[in-house]
Amino acid sequence: MGSRGLTASSGYKRVSGDAVEYEVFARKTREEPLRQVGSVVAPDDDLAMAYARATYDEERWCEMAIVRKEHVIELWQPGET
Amino acid sequence: MSLADLVLSLADNKQMLGLRYAEWATRAPSLEADIAAAAMGLDDLGHSRVLYGCLEPLGHDPRGSDRESDPKSIRSLAYFDEPWTEWSQFVAANAILDTAFTTVIEACVNGSVEVLKQRLRKMLMEERYHFLHGRSWLRSGIDAAPLLRAWQEALEFFGPPDGETERLHREGRLGMGPAQMRARMEERLEITAPEVTIHWEVWDPIRRRTAEGAIDEHTFAMLRGLEERKYAPPTAAKPASV
Repeated sequence: MGSRGLTASSGYKRVSGDAVEYEVFARKTREEPLRQVGSVVAPDDDLAMAYARATYDEERWCEMAIVRKEHVIELWQPGET
Repeated sequence: MSLADLVLSLADNKQMLGLRYAEWATRAPSLEADIAAAAMGLDDLGHSRVLYGCLEPLGHDPRGSDRESDPKSIRSLAYFDEPWTEWSQFVAANAILDTAFTTVIEACVNGSVEVLKQRLRKMLMEERYHFLHGRSWLRSGIDAAPLLRAWQEALEFFGPPDGETERLHREGRLGMGPAQMRARMEERLEITAPEVTIHWEVWDPIRRRTAEGAIDEHTFAMLRGLEERKYAPPTAAKPASV
């Protein structure tokens, strides 16, 4: 961590310990469909919203939504018919 | 103390909060938290610029020439005097102090002063994500000391129960007074503020704090642009020859 970093006594819990993955969807205009713009890893919905907004704010989105990846029901995958 | 004094204090605190957030943009516990620290830092620095821009329309800009020479002229809380060394300090500032500043902004937006109602509203939308970030990390558990200190300084920032902030509330210029601000914070965070003893007799109504001291020398030099000049090419410092 370097000289400015966290001390050894810091008792915080790293996010990656029990985090889940969220897919991030967004669109720039009402006319276009929501499309996946990326994903974030977070331990709860609140933090996932904050991370999604911070990570993918390079565009002026008119809508952004997140969904837990485990809640996505896949019909088929690449290579399947 | 005028409303402009309160807005300047809010602007200085937002500026310092933004700088301290940014210092953690490569030191937070995860990459996502790094990015959030950087984004929240940029948000708060932007908010401070908007707040400084409100001073002239308010009819009174309290900033004097001492801001070039006296670190105590920066009206920020003692919590920002030194860089944070622990993640817990970041989280306590994020959850408690950032929310306290948002609460005062909310009071401005719900008050009767048109320039504040119009210009500060957008901040409330951006601050929603700061709040979610801070509250979630707070719930994961942090050290008690920075949390208690943040609450103490947040309540000091609101001001004494029967002081000028309450007067601005009674006049309708602020939508909330100190008591309502505290209740609003407790409601949003879903926790009760700890019992703290505030010595209002030594409270500085301009800096809205009881503690002595000021921001560190390096940060003060950076705010004045002196740090930047260290890296300027030598030719930039020379006067143009005729």
